[in-house]
Amino acid sequence: MSAHAPAAEKTRTAAARPPSGFPFGFYRYRNYVLFAATSVFMALGCVGLLEGLHALGQGPEAWNAWLARMARPFDLALSLVVLAFTLYFAIRFGWVGRKIGAGRIGPVPRPPLPMPVLGVAPIGGFITLWLILLAILGGLLP
Amino acid sequence: MKLIHKLEPLWWILFGAGGFTACFFLPALLLGVLVLAPQGLLGDGLAYERAHLLASSPLGKTFLCAVISLVLWHCAHHLRHFVLDLGGHGLEAVAAFGSYGLALAGTIATFAIVAAL
Repeated sequence: MSAHAPAAEKTRTAAARPPSGFPFGFYRYRNYVLFAATSVFMALGCVGLLEGLHALGQGPEAWNAWLARMARPFDLALSLVVLAFTLYFAIRFGWVGRKIGAGRIGPVPRPPLPMPVLGVAPIGGFITLWLILLAILGGLLP
Repeated sequence: MKLIHKLEPLWWILFGAGGFTACFFLPALLLGVLVLAPQGLLGDGLAYERAHLLASSPLGKTFLCAVISLVLWHCAHHLRHFVLDLGGHGLEAVAAFGSYGLALAGTIATFAIVAAL
């Protein structure tokens, strides 16, 4: 190239646009949206935990009043919805994780385990941790 | 936005750590604290004295700060990208500053509330 040639123009990229049918046109899009929605509900769950911790810091009356408020049907229903979205997130996270264990990239051979087993392992680990934490919260473990 | 893009590795670390933290601990915390305890199904496990003892111990405070703040950062990063998916890059600044701003506010609130226990 000649030293006097004009500098090449920077390549311009097309503006990003959503795929056809997004966000509800196909079941994969709907799953994607559902998975994204877990963020809203998990954040809501954190706000609920913070509210509880704030009440805990205010003393026994405030803590018991907060527990009584959370036992009302509306709050219970909301807590169950938050829990359902959180469980969906964790199970899907573990289920996707099996593909990491499968080692399909490059020349690495697949492990001698079927894919469902690789998916059950992380989810089984999560459930074990949840049971331990619940045992601590319930007073069964110190 | 340049700073936001420059800090992308940090957002990704917080996003990944928050995702793992959410999987490991959040379902049991939500089930225990938001569902079972208010219904009286945990017995005296989360009666005031024990709940305060658990939450105000150094390990409890570290655990609560880590779990709640990391999950908030995870949610913020996920939401930022979902808003971009829905609204396009015209919403880039609003999505980034809005979601990370809320996560930062939530983190400060978490540390302040837990420190006051």
